[in-house]
Amino acid sequence: MNEEQRSDKLSAQNVSVMFEKDDKSFLAVDDVSLTIQEGEFVVIVGPSGCGKTTFMNTFAGLVRPGKGKVFMDGEEITGPSAERGVVFQQFALFPWKTVKENIEFGLKYRGIPKEQRDETIRKYVQLIKLEGFEKSYPHELSGGMKQRVAIARVYANRPQVLLMDEPFGALDAQTRTIMQEDLSEMFLTEKRTVLFITHSVDEAIYLGDRVVIMTARPGKIKKIIDITRDNLIPDRRRMRYDEVVSLKEFLDLKGEIWGLIKAEILEKHIL
Amino acid sequence: MSLKKNSKVSRTVILAAVSMIAVIGVWLFLTSVLRIIPPAFLPPPQNIVIDFLRILESPYVGHTLVGHTLVSLQIVLGGFFSALLIGIPLGILMGWFKRIEAVVDPLFQLLRPIPPLAWIPISLLWFGIGVQSKIFVIWLSAFVPCVINSYTGIRLTDPLLVKAALGLGVKRQQDLLREVAIPSALPIILGGVRIGLGSAWMTLVAAELLASDAGLGYMMQMARRALEPSVIILGMLVIGILGALMARGLRALENRVCPWVKEEEH
Amino acid sequence: MARYWESLGEKIYQEKIILSISSVLGFLFLWYLITDLFGFMPAVVLPSPEKVFFTIYEKISVPVGEEKLFGHIGVSLVRILVGVGIALGLAIPLGILMGWYEDLDSLASPIIEVLRPIPPIAWIPLAILWFGIGLGSKVFIIAIGVFFPTLINTHIGVKFVDPLLIKAAQTLGAKDKNILWEVVVPASIPLIVAGVRIGVGLGMMCLVAAELVAASTGLGYLIMLGGDDLKPELSITGMILIGILGLIADRIILGVERRVIYWKKE
Repeated sequence: MNEEQRSDKLSAQNVSVMFEKDDKSFLAVDDVSLTIQEGEFVVIVGPSGCGKTTFMNTFAGLVRPGKGKVFMDGEEITGPSAERGVVFQQFALFPWKTVKENIEFGLKYRGIPKEQRDETIRKYVQLIKLEGFEKSYPHELSGGMKQRVAIARVYANRPQVLLMDEPFGALDAQTRTIMQEDLSEMFLTEKRTVLFITHSVDEAIYLGDRVVIMTARPGKIKKIIDITRDNLIPDRRRMRYDEVVSLKEFLDLKGEIWGLIKAEILEKHIL
Repeated sequence: MSLKKNSKVSRTVILAAVSMIAVIGVWLFLTSVLRIIPPAFLPPPQNIVIDFLRILESPYVGHTLVGHTLVSLQIVLGGFFSALLIGIPLGILMGWFKRIEAVVDPLFQLLRPIPPLAWIPISLLWFGIGVQSKIFVIWLSAFVPCVINSYTGIRLTDPLLVKAALGLGVKRQQDLLREVAIPSALPIILGGVRIGLGSAWMTLVAAELLASDAGLGYMMQMARRALEPSVIILGMLVIGILGALMARGLRALENRVCPWVKEEEH
Repeated sequence: MARYWESLGEKIYQEKIILSISSVLGFLFLWYLITDLFGFMPAVVLPSPEKVFFTIYEKISVPVGEEKLFGHIGVSLVRILVGVGIALGLAIPLGILMGWYEDLDSLASPIIEVLRPIPPIAWIPLAILWFGIGLGSKVFIIAIGVFFPTLINTHIGVKFVDPLLIKAAQTLGAKDKNILWEVVVPASIPLIVAGVRIGVGLGMMCLVAAELVAASTGLGYLIMLGGDDLKPELSITGMILIGILGLIADRIILGVERRVIYWKKE
């Protein structure tokens, strides 16, 4: 893909966000500028509380930047929209709706007729490998299954942009690995623009085209590593997780990124 | 950003003030200005204030407002405290000792669905029109929630805590009860006490409406017969305020006695 | 070892059943003793068990006052149903709107906070003044009793819905009004039903109170008449029937709760 042909999908210009808690206000995000191309998978990593979720929420339209602006396709973002789907860490499934009804939610609002909806749902249920569970309720599903439904719900809505906030954070290590592989596979099949937030450096390197490393609070961009452009780990997407993770290139990158984050934690006395 | 919060708070206050003024305004308008509502039906707001001062100073059907209030309070508190004294220990014992539960529970479950108010006529038959009959019914109405909550509180004792105590050397039943079960059940017990107080208060009003010669309920009944709704309304307000104060007092007590409980939103 | 504990558990279980049954039988026996056998209690004060039984049987065909037994039950039933219906029809929508639209909350809250502490029973004299002794006053009192707990619970349920669910709906393309009815209301149903349960329980009490004070039909009237006419067997009949009615009402609501909250199995 020719780089010049890609367009700026999401753009943050000098975004700062203030937060108020118990009569104290503090700066969560400090003058961050970032541009995300269409079809790019960008991962943000950083120490706890560095403002990465807050930053993502400005793109989601759930938080207004105190300073600076956020844009999608050149237009300013002023509120949430189905074009910027969000996958939350706590799943946020509607407990009174079945799996099918959850996935169907956004589709109804787009006015999509029933047959087409059913088609779409069938396709995504297959994609997330939950055939047979269409009529189940969230409380009957395991954590991994719930998160897959949450992802399918957003995916089925075909947003132009996917914002994922530590979506695998609540899962156990084994489920998490499988979900990462699934997501990588899904991304190959249906390329979207993705902004992904995580604590895990492994996950960041495995999934991201670009890895953005943030400083501790107030969050600034410390460094950006362009894995795909600089071809740092060739053929990464075609390999399994356990294969990638043991590559020398992977371990080098991990060392570098983790070193940066660790420095932040120790310097700024977060622990 | 804190400017935003302040303006939000003042908006709430302004709207609240607007609505209160509007209500009183409409009330005033319909009763005093347009006079389409007769004073025997709903008195104009100023009448209420006037009558308030009147019954504060001079006796109305036997006592001043304060006098009636005290009569009611005495009876409620009397019945209420005796209910606590018997109900809480009974509930605790029922919760802890299965045998006691087996004996007492079926009788309790039989009598429980009957609203305490329903006992008033029988109580009058047994004890006459005096104070005793009222205290009996009030006692009954506070007794039930105290027993139920104490029982539930003890039953919900986390077995993990009991095991921890056993492992630390506490062996006798009464010690376990005293050191683990009762403290852990305290919040629920106090909740039952709060419910019991509300219940007692309600039952008192009903009892006084039916057969009394003093007290707030009696005052309201007499005012109704005399077609003086302002006194009725005053009675209602006093009852409401007293009830709210007692509930708030209990909640403060709860917070002092059980400092480990997280404050709920409501 | 396990078998020992098993058989011990079984023994305790059997012992519990024996104790429970004996205590109920003991109670009935004692009742029978002091009334029939030894005549400790004159029939005027406490009727014997068979007398109550026969009274119930008799009054099915012989009217008391204006109605036969089922007539009285029917009248009480109608009052409760109408009162509950009106209250729920007002409280639930209002609670939802108040929880969602802050301005409405600010406007309505002051009035509600003033009226809420006043126990529904305290409204009786005013209700009689306004609506007389007919159906209206009873329905009014019951409605007040059911209204407030339902309103409060609905309000809280809607106001404190998990904001995460709302955010999820927003990022899936839903607009404000849709979010209210498709996300917030379903999410608050557990609290709403809890409020209804409390409200209906209170409503039953209000039914009894209203029928005790001012009625010429109904179960409360029976209870009161028994006291007046020195026929406690009538009162006890009324009390038992009210108890049963209350139990049935509670069971129904529990059943509704289970069906409506089908998605949560704790």
